[in-house]
Amino acid sequence: MTNDPISEIESELAKLPPAVLEAYRAANETVKESFGEEEINLWAKEGLTIGTQTVRSWESAIEYYQVSPEVSKFLSFPSFMQWARCGTYLAQDSPTLAVAFFKSSVSIVPNLRPQYIPRWAGLGRSLYKGTWKSSTLAAKFFEVSPDLVRNLPFWDVEVFASLIEALSFKSYDVAGECLVLGRDVLPAMGREREPFLAMSRALIDTSWREVKTCLELVPRALQQVDESQTGRFLKLGERLAKVGLRDTSRFLADGTQALSKVPQGSQGYILDLCDGLVVITPDAVPPFLRSLDDVLNRITVSQLDTWFQHGVKLLQENPESGIAFFKIESNTSEAMLETLSSSLELDRVKGILRLYCRALSGTPLEIYNTQELVQRNIGWVDEDLASTDGSKVFLPSVVDHYPNKQDNFAWFKVVSTHQVAHLEFGSFEYQFENVAAQFEDRRHAMEEAANERKGLERAATRESYEMAAKLLASGAEGDVDMSADYVDPNDMGSNRTFTDIGRFLDIFENSRLAFDIFTVLEDCRLDYRIKVEYPGIRASSSRVQTETLVNRPRIEDMPLQQGLVELLIHMSLDQFQNLPVAKEYEEAAEMLSSILHELRNAEANVEDTSEATLRAYEVISRVPNQQEEEDQFEEQDLEEPGDFSEEDYESLIDQLQAGMDASAEAGDGESYESPDPVDYRGDFKPEMVQLMTKLQADNGEEGDAQPMTQEMLEQLLQESPELELDAEQGDIDENMSAFAQNIMKEAGTPPPNSEPGEGYGPLLHDDDSGGELEAREPATYVYDEWDFRANDYKPRWCIVKEKTVEEGDVSFYQESLKTYSALSNHIRRQFELIMPESMRKTYRLVDGEDIDLNAALEAWMDLKMGVPPDEKIYWHRNRNHREVAVVFLLDMSASTAEAIDEGRQTVDDRDAPDDPVEYMVWLRRRREGLVRRNYKRIIDLEKEGTTLLINALESIGDTYGIYGFSGYGRENVEFYVIKDINEAFSDKVKRRIDKVTPLHATRMGAAIRHCTTKLENQDARTKIMFLISDGRPQDRGYSREGVEKEYAVHDTHMALVEAKRKDIIPFCLTVDKQGHDYLKSMCGDMGYEVLADIWSLPERLPMLYRQLTAIRQ
Amino acid sequence: MVEAAESHYTEYAIEEFLVRDEPYYRPVGDEIELFTAAYRQHIPVLLKGPTGCGKTRFVEFMAWQLGRPLAVVKEDKGAKADVLKDGEVRVPLVTIACHEDLTASDLVGRYLLDANGTRWIDGPMTRAVKAGAILYLDEVVEARKDTTVLIHPLTDHRRILPVEKTGSIIEADDRFLLCVSYNPGYQSALKDLKHSTRQRFISIEFYYPPAHIETEIIQRESGCTKEHADALAKLGEKIRNLEDHGLQEGASTRLLIYAGRLMSEGISPRRAAQVAIVWTLTDDPELQRSVEEVSSSIFE
Repeated sequence: MTNDPISEIESELAKLPPAVLEAYRAANETVKESFGEEEINLWAKEGLTIGTQTVRSWESAIEYYQVSPEVSKFLSFPSFMQWARCGTYLAQDSPTLAVAFFKSSVSIVPNLRPQYIPRWAGLGRSLYKGTWKSSTLAAKFFEVSPDLVRNLPFWDVEVFASLIEALSFKSYDVAGECLVLGRDVLPAMGREREPFLAMSRALIDTSWREVKTCLELVPRALQQVDESQTGRFLKLGERLAKVGLRDTSRFLADGTQALSKVPQGSQGYILDLCDGLVVITPDAVPPFLRSLDDVLNRITVSQLDTWFQHGVKLLQENPESGIAFFKIESNTSEAMLETLSSSLELDRVKGILRLYCRALSGTPLEIYNTQELVQRNIGWVDEDLASTDGSKVFLPSVVDHYPNKQDNFAWFKVVSTHQVAHLEFGSFEYQFENVAAQFEDRRHAMEEAANERKGLERAATRESYEMAAKLLASGAEGDVDMSADYVDPNDMGSNRTFTDIGRFLDIFENSRLAFDIFTVLEDCRLDYRIKVEYPGIRASSSRVQTETLVNRPRIEDMPLQQGLVELLIHMSLDQFQNLPVAKEYEEAAEMLSSILHELRNAEANVEDTSEATLRAYEVISRVPNQQEEEDQFEEQDLEEPGDFSEEDYESLIDQLQAGMDASAEAGDGESYESPDPVDYRGDFKPEMVQLMTKLQADNGEEGDAQPMTQEMLEQLLQESPELELDAEQGDIDENMSAFAQNIMKEAGTPPPNSEPGEGYGPLLHDDDSGGELEAREPATYVYDEWDFRANDYKPRWCIVKEKTVEEGDVSFYQESLKTYSALSNHIRRQFELIMPESMRKTYRLVDGEDIDLNAALEAWMDLKMGVPPDEKIYWHRNRNHREVAVVFLLDMSASTAEAIDEGRQTVDDRDAPDDPVEYMVWLRRRREGLVRRNYKRIIDLEKEGTTLLINALESIGDTYGIYGFSGYGRENVEFYVIKDINEAFSDKVKRRIDKVTPLHATRMGAAIRHCTTKLENQDARTKIMFLISDGRPQDRGYSREGVEKEYAVHDTHMALVEAKRKDIIPFCLTVDKQGHDYLKSMCGDMGYEVLADIWSLPERLPMLYRQLTAIRQ
Repeated sequence: MVEAAESHYTEYAIEEFLVRDEPYYRPVGDEIELFTAAYRQHIPVLLKGPTGCGKTRFVEFMAWQLGRPLAVVKEDKGAKADVLKDGEVRVPLVTIACHEDLTASDLVGRYLLDANGTRWIDGPMTRAVKAGAILYLDEVVEARKDTTVLIHPLTDHRRILPVEKTGSIIEADDRFLLCVSYNPGYQSALKDLKHSTRQRFISIEFYYPPAHIETEIIQRESGCTKEHADALAKLGEKIRNLEDHGLQEGASTRLLIYAGRLMSEGISPRRAAQVAIVWTLTDDPELQRSVEEVSSSIFE
């Protein structure tokens, strides 16, 4: 066989239209370069096979030969043949298909792994159903494939192709259009592509026409959604599509629009809500999203929850009304929005109220919401009532009494003014021994009488006890000496006098009644005083009083004693007319009114309240607590009862006493119950406040008096009328000890059972007992520490270990610059402005390098004209070289991990329950978690500030170093190098910033001393040390005797002074709002700043630095 | 016929300015006795205190008081003392507000060129030294460092002013007294008096007067009603509680007086407090709101 296979093939090819052979020949030359002879044969033969498949397949063969040279460059021979065979099969079905396949192969082969080629061909093949339309579609698929393959992972191409196929069953036209759309749209998508395809897939079964619209909409729509949330959003779409929701495209458009308008960071939360809705009624999701914008214009995201939950409840009951609710087409929905939108959340006005209360009281009060007080479990139980414990004011977290925000705010103001008034006008400063201003003092006499009474009672109890004991002893075997075990409960009675208020209330037999009267009268005194001192809130406070009056119970419906207390409340609320008074006790009522009027005087003090209480108690306690018929009451006007007189009072008491003695037989009436609290006045617990204050004070100065034990405290609490416990007797004991423990914790008393000398005595002393340390390892340094009590240094006390921060990712640095791009440009510009200044010529000087011609000419002219000329005729080049070396010292203590809002509770449960109700609960909790994680930590801001600073510093070329510090214990002060002062700026530094994380404690002194050493070696005219911290310096053993915080502050101060002595300018910047108190002593006359707004740290830091160095130059 | 308004003013040479009418000053402590004693003993005085608490007014008052015949001023031996009438002594008051660009020659004097060559012109400090005035340097920390050096020889036993440019030394007149004021509130601006300067003065500390005295002052100075003055003093007290809680400095007596003046012109109290106090004190919206809430509680 001389005829080689080639010529044989050629002759075969010649039978086909001549173009085939031409194409073969043209290609042959190039293909030879890639394949061997054997392979060439196979290649040529395959072309022939293609060409002979069907009548028109010669066209495919031409295409095959034409593209072969290109394709052969990218594929090994086996893969090449595989590819060719794919074409063959396609040509079998439809030559057009094969042509399209070969055509696009040129551009696809370089991007597709060879093993995928058959699968790719298969995708096209599967679209072909033998019809003309289907072959067009399949051909189109091959046409768009290069773009798809280039831009999408092959997996997505497959999914997309199957989507198109599914769609083609419905309509070839739509499928074709979608194919093209997909080519344009899909590549631009990122992570959301997969969920989008899944969603589209789900659509095909329910409403396939939507697919195209979705494809059209999706690029624009998704731009409006947070990148991180798009996936979830599409997943939601998928779920909706699966349950047969029509109008998915509209959902896509409306939904993304709605999401784009919600406040930043809360998209995830909204999607959480949607997820919740899908579980219940999917149909409610689109209306919810559509109304969202409206709703959020009226209420805040945090209020949304309340509204939403209500809708969910409706949905569960009746889907129709639920949907109407979400469409805001129901009255309930409207009304709810109305209330919510006018309600005022404490969080929004907390800052204002805090400053307001501080201004009024002159003490650094904090504002908390009442829930926090209740959570502490120290005796306050009501979540709705405002209160104060002397250093904090507790207010309800939301006010919605009125239909608009102004009025609700006014309510807050009235309430907080009342609470502050307790402090401002001295409710808690009650002293038993102080003299009252309006009344004669009767307390002491009363106390004696009470003690006498108690003495008698005690004796009686003891007697009866001993009697019982004797009886028992005689009956029982052996000699049980029980009398020895007898503990007189009233021996503990002395505890009650631990506080002055306690001592006062202890006088009374019915101390609950006395306390109620005291509360009413004191509140009355304060309200009156407020009206005098603050005329501005008179209007709103009167309004609140009037409204309170409307809701008070009717006096006629109460037993007499309680009725009289209620009468006092009415009068304290400024109602003096038309008061129902039992005929029999008219005089008593008048007396009460005159007592109360004595307190309506700006001079009245808290001791007056106690005297008034005493008198009112004497009157009221002599009235039987019986229900009286309604016709026995008469309306009275008690506006002007006349002045209080002691004689009238005494005669009234005698009269009442006589009446009581007479009717002694008639029974005691009902037992006394406390009146309903007056809402706006909140919870008044003077005894607790005095107790806490005293406990705290006792802690401060150790040793003198016998400290209060937990048992004593429990006893005291049990007797205090301030604590109302509804629980069973058994629980009370338990509660009491819990209260007592919590109170002691609050007051900072060491936990009970800890023997002095154990516990925190020597344990924290351990550093004291240690001696000097030595730096043995490399890169460790020893420093002294200042002991302010000893007024001397502790030699070689701390070991500073210098470490270089690990390298992380550059992206943090870049991200920060991006986030603050506007700011960073601004800062850079500002910094650059410093530079030219140092080279600029200054004109019109009295003295200088040379004559300033302009000025000299002017002066000459002036001289000629006989006008005194300006003498400033010189210029000077400012040779102020900028020689600045600076170190930044970042606080890397654990506390910098704190999120910048008040801490929220962490959420541990991350698995979604199936039950809708539980799901909602879980959702809400999870949301809190989400919100929390979106918050930044203090250290993040420190890092961002540093980033901006580095960026700026690089532009002016100052020498700088950046360090962080942390550590635990004196032998372990960790000093982290982020950028050493002599190190050049590089990507390494950028990467290190990423790894700066909160670690342990803050022993500032040693870190500062190490910085000083670093700066000392620098040869610059201006040296600056910039300390950025978030709180007090503290560390294990960084205190004397374990408790004196001052020690750390003093050591830090000394370290700063040392730096200053070495011509280093220290500057402290702190984000601790409470920083003023200790910074003053810590920094002394050195510069410092307390950043009121933590968020401004990144901005403020470079600015401060600029000022600092500008001044010094 | 309306006559064209004629402007009336009197011009004094700086060292001739005397405080002739009694300035209103309400003493809070023993500051008058202290200042008088210091004046007699030639001890320079440093007045410390926040802005607008009456330092400048106090100095004016002292200048007036020391010039009065009844004030026992140490009898002048020199002939320079020009006794005015009936024992009245001339105690001029030279006030210089210090600022960053205030140079030594602004204070001491300089050569000026004139048609015939140069002419030396005394600066205000030189004039005050020569004339035996009370020289009051307001906000002395603001001045450049080189000016504080000038103060040194004047403030110790030498009481001389060396004038470098003319090559002369001026011995201060016996009645000359240097008095500087200083606001320690600006700690963080890194401006502080050097100790070598500080320790040449006795320091009288000023703070805002207690509420009842402040009421008196506001009423007297602004002519508003007692109630308004009372309320303003209360407002001042409350606002000062916010110092260090955001406010750099509390409302000064001066501001309270301004508010009082507006009120006596018929401006509503809340509005007056707002423009004179709230908006002046701070630009921070939250702080403004808080202060305003306090003011709206106090004023109807």
